[in-house]
Amino acid sequence: MTPFEVKDCALLARMSGLPPAINLRELRDRIAVCGENVLFHHFCETTLRGTFDNPDYRNDFAVWSKLYLGDRVLAERLGILDPYEFPSLGELRAATLEVIDERLGESTTIPWARPGDEIYFMEATTVVFDTGIRISHPGEFAAAIGSMTGGSVYYHFLEARRRSPFGRDDFTAWLLENDEGGKNRPYIEALARIDFYFHTLHHLRKELIKVLSALEDTK
Amino acid sequence: MNVPLGAYEGIVGPAVLRGLRQLGEKLAGTRVVHVNSTREGGGVAEILEWMTPIMRELGLNASWEVINGTPRFFEITKAIHNGLQGAHVDIPVKGWKTYEDVNARNFKRLRPILEAADIVFIHDPQPAHLLRLCTRRKGKWIWRAHIDISRPFRPVWKVLRSLVEPFDASIFSMPQFAQPLPHPQFLVPPSIDPLSEKNRDLPAAELEAVQTQYGLDPSRPLLVQISRFDRFKDPVGVVAAYRMVRKVAPVQLVLAGGGATDDPEGKAVLEDVLEAAGNDPDVHVLLLPPDSHKTVNALQRMATIILQKSTREGFGLTVTEGMWKGKPVIGGDVGGIRLQVVNHHTGFLVNTPEGAAHRIRFLLHHQEGIDRMGTTAREFVRENFLLTRHIREYLTLMLVTLHSDRGNLVEV
Repeated sequence: MTPFEVKDCALLARMSGLPPAINLRELRDRIAVCGENVLFHHFCETTLRGTFDNPDYRNDFAVWSKLYLGDRVLAERLGILDPYEFPSLGELRAATLEVIDERLGESTTIPWARPGDEIYFMEATTVVFDTGIRISHPGEFAAAIGSMTGGSVYYHFLEARRRSPFGRDDFTAWLLENDEGGKNRPYIEALARIDFYFHTLHHLRKELIKVLSALEDTK
Repeated sequence: MNVPLGAYEGIVGPAVLRGLRQLGEKLAGTRVVHVNSTREGGGVAEILEWMTPIMRELGLNASWEVINGTPRFFEITKAIHNGLQGAHVDIPVKGWKTYEDVNARNFKRLRPILEAADIVFIHDPQPAHLLRLCTRRKGKWIWRAHIDISRPFRPVWKVLRSLVEPFDASIFSMPQFAQPLPHPQFLVPPSIDPLSEKNRDLPAAELEAVQTQYGLDPSRPLLVQISRFDRFKDPVGVVAAYRMVRKVAPVQLVLAGGGATDDPEGKAVLEDVLEAAGNDPDVHVLLLPPDSHKTVNALQRMATIILQKSTREGFGLTVTEGMWKGKPVIGGDVGGIRLQVVNHHTGFLVNTPEGAAHRIRFLLHHQEGIDRMGTTAREFVRENFLLTRHIREYLTLMLVTLHSDRGNLVEV
């Protein structure tokens, strides 16, 4: 069995090259043409930024709609979009545009932000480090996750879904690869039940430890 | 100051240093040259003072070069600096010629090292003309803008833009500070050094000495704003907020900063602040010399609440410093303060003296809130705004720039 290699990661952000948006129409136009990395950054990499308990929404577009456009209806509709539910970023883009178009259709004026409150479009390079930590048995996961950084949890449980095999976290991929006789099924099923997108990394780590520890306790 | 990287392990943990060393291994032997215009004074020199030795410790062949200029050159570059920040300045053709001549003289001296470098970081506008002169360069050149050029005076930006467009990449502190340029624009926020004189832990005796020196009462709450006497920092608004709180709570206020003596605008602001303070013995307006790092450190550590009620702000490193000392910050809802102060988590964002007074009173009634927000603030800085994150981003962008084929995922 090849041991699971624990990695850590950090982001280096850069401007996307798109001009900032100051109103909902401009937000729509930028989302329609931006690169997929930009979409991924504002929907998924937000988790790696400093976050706090009970943030309102997990994507930048919903937060901007609430704080700077003052449109709570739009913020709620954008805020519920779970990027990991879509088979591709292209489909996430289409769903986001649909929400915005619906709102533009309902509005008598185009919601706008004050100068200085524009939204900027960015993307990031992910830099991945080898922590030197190895896990060789599924029973070790809970303890190992307990001492992982937020970057490790993000890289293995969230960012992994963007890599091949698409949509699968690294823990599950490793458990499937090493699933002799179906003995890893309980771990795989427990991980699949986690409603991960709306957690902060802090809470996601707690949830991972909880479900994996529960399996050990039942042994 | 040459603090070895290992000294930070107790603050950021071994994993962070291990990551930096892995990045260093990938870049071992890379010839890196930083160029700026001053060896001492100012934020850029402070950064290069720690960054260059740490890069060397990580195995890079890093050096720091300073261009020499005439008083006229620095008058011109000061005008360029002000123009980039939006001031309507008049820089005659002769002035730009002086700028180019001084760069050319420095290029003669720096030519071998600049031509041989793998990466050259040009800090701010003063040495930006060097790229045009270095026609035999073989490395990548990166322009680091430390200032806010979001709303520049167009005639100045037009000239400078022609100088920075040919760079391979640029770095800005925040997206709001950037200008469209035809190359990658990285975002690297500034940072603080937790072991510097301004931020290191201080023994109780040193705090007491500052307390005694300025006649502060340790038994009563203390509000502290550290900043230049500048209208955009709204010190008069801070005094107004203090007055609203003073009616109901026995607070003291310290407004401390420098930069008023040689700056006519600063002098006028200081006079306004002194007038607003009147003869209230609980308002301490302190004009500090630029090297008063330990005094600033002590005042921030003695504070109950840190204020930074700016109406316009760059990144706001005084906010970072206050948060690192475990204090909640009540800050203006502008610029980089928004990146640091999160309502109910690390402090409060406010727009008016009334808003500041309201939040001060709230916190004074909730000591547990002060403690909780202070703890969160310190951890937030540990994660995001210490020099180890800053150096990691520089090393990463060097890797990305040297190997542009690496895409959006770089494994080290």
